[in-house]
Amino acid sequence: MIEVKGVSKVFSRGGKSFEALRDVTFGVGTGRFTSLIGPSGCGKTTLLKMMAGLIRPSSGVIEIEGKEVTGSGPDRALVFQNFVLLPWADVLTNTAFGLEARGVPKKAREEVARSRLAQVGLTGFEHHYPHELSGGMQQRVGIARALAVEPDTLLMDEPFGSLDTITRHVMQHDLLRLWQETATKTTVFVTHSMEEATLLSDQVVIMDTRPGRVAQIVEVPFPRPRQVGLTDSPAFLEFTAEMSKLLERMQRIDMAIEAKIDAEVGDDG
Amino acid sequence: MAETRVAAEVATTETPGAARRMIAWLARYRVQTLGLILGAVIWEVVGRAGVSPALPPISAVIDAGRELWSSERFLDALQVTASSILIAFPPSVILGVTLGLLMGLIRPIEWVLRPYINLTLSLPLVAIIPIILLIFGLSQTTIVVVIVLYVLPVVMVNTFSGVRSTDSDLLEMATTFNAGRWLTLRRIVIPSARALTLAGIRIGVGRSITGGIVAEQVIGAFGLGGLVQRLGGAFAVEPLYAVIIFIGAVGVASLALINRIERKYQMRDVWPV
Repeated sequence: MIEVKGVSKVFSRGGKSFEALRDVTFGVGTGRFTSLIGPSGCGKTTLLKMMAGLIRPSSGVIEIEGKEVTGSGPDRALVFQNFVLLPWADVLTNTAFGLEARGVPKKAREEVARSRLAQVGLTGFEHHYPHELSGGMQQRVGIARALAVEPDTLLMDEPFGSLDTITRHVMQHDLLRLWQETATKTTVFVTHSMEEATLLSDQVVIMDTRPGRVAQIVEVPFPRPRQVGLTDSPAFLEFTAEMSKLLERMQRIDMAIEAKIDAEVGDDG
Repeated sequence: MAETRVAAEVATTETPGAARRMIAWLARYRVQTLGLILGAVIWEVVGRAGVSPALPPISAVIDAGRELWSSERFLDALQVTASSILIAFPPSVILGVTLGLLMGLIRPIEWVLRPYINLTLSLPLVAIIPIILLIFGLSQTTIVVVIVLYVLPVVMVNTFSGVRSTDSDLLEMATTFNAGRWLTLRRIVIPSARALTLAGIRIGVGRSITGGIVAEQVIGAFGLGGLVQRLGGAFAVEPLYAVIIFIGAVGVASLALINRIERKYQMRDVWPV
């Protein structure tokens, strides 16, 4: 169970302060898949990085299984939007990095890495370098690296955000299958796509911006295990359309506020 | 492709005179060789035209060189200069890389060392050679110290920049996996700094030769620099050019060697930058 309790974050840079998150509260049940979705600037990535222990909240706490998050820990692994692989290390070394950090001997960590690579469909690419792989394959390495440390909690920061549409769909379905097949891990997944969130998640936390806050928490009504065909079903299309409308409305209001601020600033000048 | 790139780099960064490049590159690079031959022909023509006593024809220089390069006074001087460089260079690199790494990793060390590096990089080091001479006397130690002063700062500042250019995302990734300092250094920081460090070492090669010759020239007593000083003083223009050509050729050859080592090293497990 991940509990986000009254979390706020104010960044200050050069005398100016920016309220990234205000009083965010929600819970993620153990073994459940939760997506954070919302317009740019709603603080969803900040929130994820807080769960990873990379950023401290200004106020409020995040607790995982009752323990306050104060830093990074072996119980969590993060998958990055831009993959963040070591360009000078081969796929196997990259996948084994988390285990190497834990002092697992070479042979043992490479064995685990190989099996994780097999899981994400990269057998045969162990000795390739990241620049020799497509974006989708690089992110498979990123996922394998995260899974290799057997985290209780998997944190994913728009992992498919920089991939093309087709690759993205393939990756979504592979992740769905992988997640359902393996012992379920508590997963928090940041995304911009309502379809992606709906297909993968049990729960979607819709966030709004200025300041970043929870707008709505929605339970995804589709039972597991879900199949690839789900995305074509009328019920799925209807659900995502409705959710997307909600998101769009928020985005519109946001743009209107922005226009108003711009106008005011213009008057001052 | 790679060969022309290397040659172009060498040509632009390290060697002012066309003739200097001749010996090392003659056999391997056709276009470059053609350029050199062209330069030599122009030199010969201008030299024969008798434009200036400071510009004898290249054929006369080579004649003088044939005699000089096998003479005892030249070989003695060469031995002194070469040994000074060989003594000074490896510790300069090792110390430079180490200090550069420390500067990059530990802020207070950067704050302390930064002004000295900037000073040595901007100061005309020639000006302090007499001081070093006063401290270490008329000996090879003086030359070695000057070479270290020429090489150390460039290696340091390049290594430092390499460390600081480490991708912050990679460091964040290491943090999420709780990677220790040593692993982060070995797997992330050092490979990140590698390209710039090697560039620093490459510049250091050129500077070690410059530093050695300049110091010897200021002292005027021994080494190739001393020889240059004496030949210049005696207006022995042809042998003077012969020494300069030799020094240039050695410089180019050592750079070629460094580039080769660098390429071979990069082929193996370094990301093509």
